[in-house]
Amino acid sequence: MPPERRRTPTILAMGGGGFTAGSDDPALDDLVLELAGTPRPRVCLLPTAGGDSEHQIRRYYETFGDRLCEPTHISLFRLGRKPVPLREHLLSQDAIYVGGGSMVNLLAIWKAQGLDGILREAWEAGILLAGLSAGSMCWFHYGITTSSGHPEPAPGLGFLPGSNSVHHDSEPARRPVYLEAVASGAIPAGYAVDDGAALVFRGGSLEEVVTARRGARAFTVTADGERTLECRALTKRVNAAATIPAVAELRRLRVARSGGVRD
Amino acid sequence: MTRPRQILALGGGGFSMEAGNALLDDHALALTGVECPKVCFLPTASGDADHYIVRFYRAFAAGRCRPSHVSLFRRDGGATDLAGHLCEQDLVYVGGGSVISLLGTWGAHGVDLMLRAAWEAGVVMTGLSAGSLCWFDHGMTAFHGESKPVRGMGFLPFSNAVHYEDKPDRRAAYVAAIADGLPPGYGTGDGAALHFVGTELVEVVTSRERARAYHVTPEGAEVTENELATRFLGAPLAVEPALAA
Repeated sequence: MPPERRRTPTILAMGGGGFTAGSDDPALDDLVLELAGTPRPRVCLLPTAGGDSEHQIRRYYETFGDRLCEPTHISLFRLGRKPVPLREHLLSQDAIYVGGGSMVNLLAIWKAQGLDGILREAWEAGILLAGLSAGSMCWFHYGITTSSGHPEPAPGLGFLPGSNSVHHDSEPARRPVYLEAVASGAIPAGYAVDDGAALVFRGGSLEEVVTARRGARAFTVTADGERTLECRALTKRVNAAATIPAVAELRRLRVARSGGVRD
Repeated sequence: MTRPRQILALGGGGFSMEAGNALLDDHALALTGVECPKVCFLPTASGDADHYIVRFYRAFAAGRCRPSHVSLFRRDGGATDLAGHLCEQDLVYVGGGSVISLLGTWGAHGVDLMLRAAWEAGVVMTGLSAGSLCWFDHGMTAFHGESKPVRGMGFLPFSNAVHYEDKPDRRAAYVAAIADGLPPGYGTGDGAALHFVGTELVEVVTSRERARAYHVTPEGAEVTENELATRFLGAPLAVEPALAA
């Protein structure tokens, strides 16, 4: 267990990108580990929104298996074959990473399995909550989901105030729906985020906007329209981890321990 | 013509579990009474796993039926009028997996109400495992390790336990839960299927000669398991006279 700590609840809400987007945004994956705040963070993927898709899980291990961390995942759809003590496992993490997919399904399944309460506990204990797409919008009061085929507002967990819409650049159909929903007062004001951009929240306040891609942006969206937020460009640490001997050693151990196959 | 409400609840079996044995799946198709029935697969309990959807289309090949599926994790591009699509089917086939995730997801999309309307309109409902438990008032799930009751959609006013004979701890947990006040119901083994017309059990059919199902009810302070009569759907093994001689 990590030493006694009292950290500010932190959420990294990504508009898209990171490991699920190929190797486009390694800087966002690095930032997850940095914000986790320990030298070798324990990271747990929740691929619920994608129906625990094998592809998402494989991409995750390909990405975080090569970094200085201890990656695991929980498949809520396969607990029958592989029971996990949900609360104990999640509360022992340094970071919880929520993958993309259907926001409506994500929240419905979390509620049915009691994960909403566990994640609030984790957040309040200072465990980093990170996620993209559905895994970003879920933390806010409202998101713009395409879970039923077309964009529409859907309630989230409400850890963070306001609303959030993702893939702001790559899925243009979301934009008019989001602006209209905020303008009409149907949902509160909030943030629109491009792929490759991310919001860092400390407690309920936006601390900064970071980007891993040239040209990626984030906006505040109010009844008056959208306004670009100032952002900090993340620098790429090109495969820096691979040059650290300890990482190479860790990787060898991990492969040996798992008989050459990562789960 | 009004069609009766029908549910065929498999303890386990069909294309998900019995490769090369299509007896239960064929029976589900036959219950529709339609020459080339429309069959819609709901793989929700598996998280809409791709390999499962592929296996469904292999088992329910076009030609003997008109197959389709609904992915609730990838609704963009699929049927937009979900209620309409489900209601115009002859058979809805629900796959196995996590019954808790299944019912949570269905509730969020209103699929529980759509299925009730379809069932009442005479669309035959079938499924195995989680896809069997969901039709009942309560089902026994062992998805978190320990076997415990969960609420189902309540189309059938009983409880249900699946994979019954193969998992003795599940059997003991079901008997204990009924002793504790869970509504009486059915323990169904792999290869056995309960056929309900309305809410009445009319027959237990099997894809294996040894498959079993039980009616589990409290009697005084005790809980009894009464083995139900079954009908094997395959041809009985015939003895060849020439070889027997």
